[in-house]
Amino acid sequence: MSTIHFEIVTPEKVVLKEEVLQLTVPTKMGEITILPHHIPLVASLIPGVIEVKKTNNELETVALSGGFIEVLPTKVVILADTAERAADIDEARAEEARQRAEKLMTEKREEVDFSAVQAKIAKELARVKAVRRHRNRHIIKTD
Amino acid sequence: MASTRDITRRIKSVKNTKKVTKAMELVSAAKMRKAVEAVLKTRSYANLSWLTVINLAKIAQKDNGLHELLNQRREVKKIGIILITSNRGLCGGFNANIINKAVNDPALTPGDPAVLRDGAGLSLLRGGEKPEVEFVILGKKGAAAHRRFGFNLAAEFAKPDVVTQVAEVLPVAKMIIKDYLAGKYDKIMLAYTDFVSTIKQAPRVKQLLPINLSEADERLGTVGKGDEAGKAKEIIAQKQEKYFAGQEYIFEPNPREVLNEMIPRLLEIQMFQALLESNASEHSARMVAMRNASDAADDMVDDLTLYYNKARQANITREIAEVVGGAQALQR
Repeated sequence: MSTIHFEIVTPEKVVLKEEVLQLTVPTKMGEITILPHHIPLVASLIPGVIEVKKTNNELETVALSGGFIEVLPTKVVILADTAERAADIDEARAEEARQRAEKLMTEKREEVDFSAVQAKIAKELARVKAVRRHRNRHIIKTD
Repeated sequence: MASTRDITRRIKSVKNTKKVTKAMELVSAAKMRKAVEAVLKTRSYANLSWLTVINLAKIAQKDNGLHELLNQRREVKKIGIILITSNRGLCGGFNANIINKAVNDPALTPGDPAVLRDGAGLSLLRGGEKPEVEFVILGKKGAAAHRRFGFNLAAEFAKPDVVTQVAEVLPVAKMIIKDYLAGKYDKIMLAYTDFVSTIKQAPRVKQLLPINLSEADERLGTVGKGDEAGKAKEIIAQKQEKYFAGQEYIFEPNPREVLNEMIPRLLEIQMFQALLESNASEHSARMVAMRNASDAADDMVDDLTLYYNKARQANITREIAEVVGGAQALQR
């Protein structure tokens, strides 16, 4: 079975680096799934959830706040602005952060930098989503 | 021989100096730890993103309409150099090294054989005239490029001592990219200091724009690679052969939209990484310089103490001799 050599890097660290079977990423045009032998592709990514199927068939979810994907014949690289593995995110705190960001949007209209706040909301939303998907995966498994 | 009082005074002053250098060493060490950590964190991102840029530039060679920033350029009439130095001195040869490296760069002196190897330099050589050079400096000490070597300064940006966010290089990056696209500069170089280790830093001048594809360019892709520069080249060559057999990319949604967003961002990352490298290098250079100063002060104190003891002993001997001489004179 062929695999993809996959890497997610952010300016802070290498979030993920391993062989995977497939991955699903949110691009500007919608979600796409990349399987081995995909043709070279460059796309910009929007905030959302990356789903990665590992070689042991486990699903890994990663929250993404935007970036780029580069698909090469034998390698896939995601240059992310920020990325966090769902397993590392504390859901309660992610939800809190999201609400805080939304509150910022409604309050004090004139002082806030709108695009920055919007980006923050999108990012936090992605984190919350990632955690939920991650958790749901567990429930299905235990059933 | 100096009097014992003079020597004690000197010992005291050297000891005080040592206290200062020791304190500066400790401060630099703390800053260095932070800076090094930051540098190491972003290295893989910066390297991978630069590889992406190179791949894209390779494609652009065939298809010139892809993006303006990827195109190989025309004649080089004016070069812009971004020079990253420190804000403060007392860091050994750090600033002198990078400034010398920048002003002596082969790209600035036509006729040098090194220029021949440089793809973009070829046209410059044929023209036979010296390209105009302008410096954009980050860090106060860079002004020496103007004072000592008489180069024009296009702009001076304040350099933060501790850099954490890409946003801090945005003003520089925006300006440079705008000027390049507007045709003000035909070539952009980035002069910074690669952080190799605490005791070794390598000043380096890297061509940022147009993206350099020529084999002979050792600067290519070495941001953050330090000693592994050779290895990086291999990896790039390998990657180009193995991973990328001259195939076309698909761009989603379309090339223009993706590249408009992507290329400036990746260039910013390069500048950011260069700034981080320089900062880490600066703090390590300062720490080492201050440690050397403290050690030298220690040696000096030792030497002076020896002199002091000798002088003291000589004094005592002389006094005894005087007393004895006096006593003998009285006996007679």
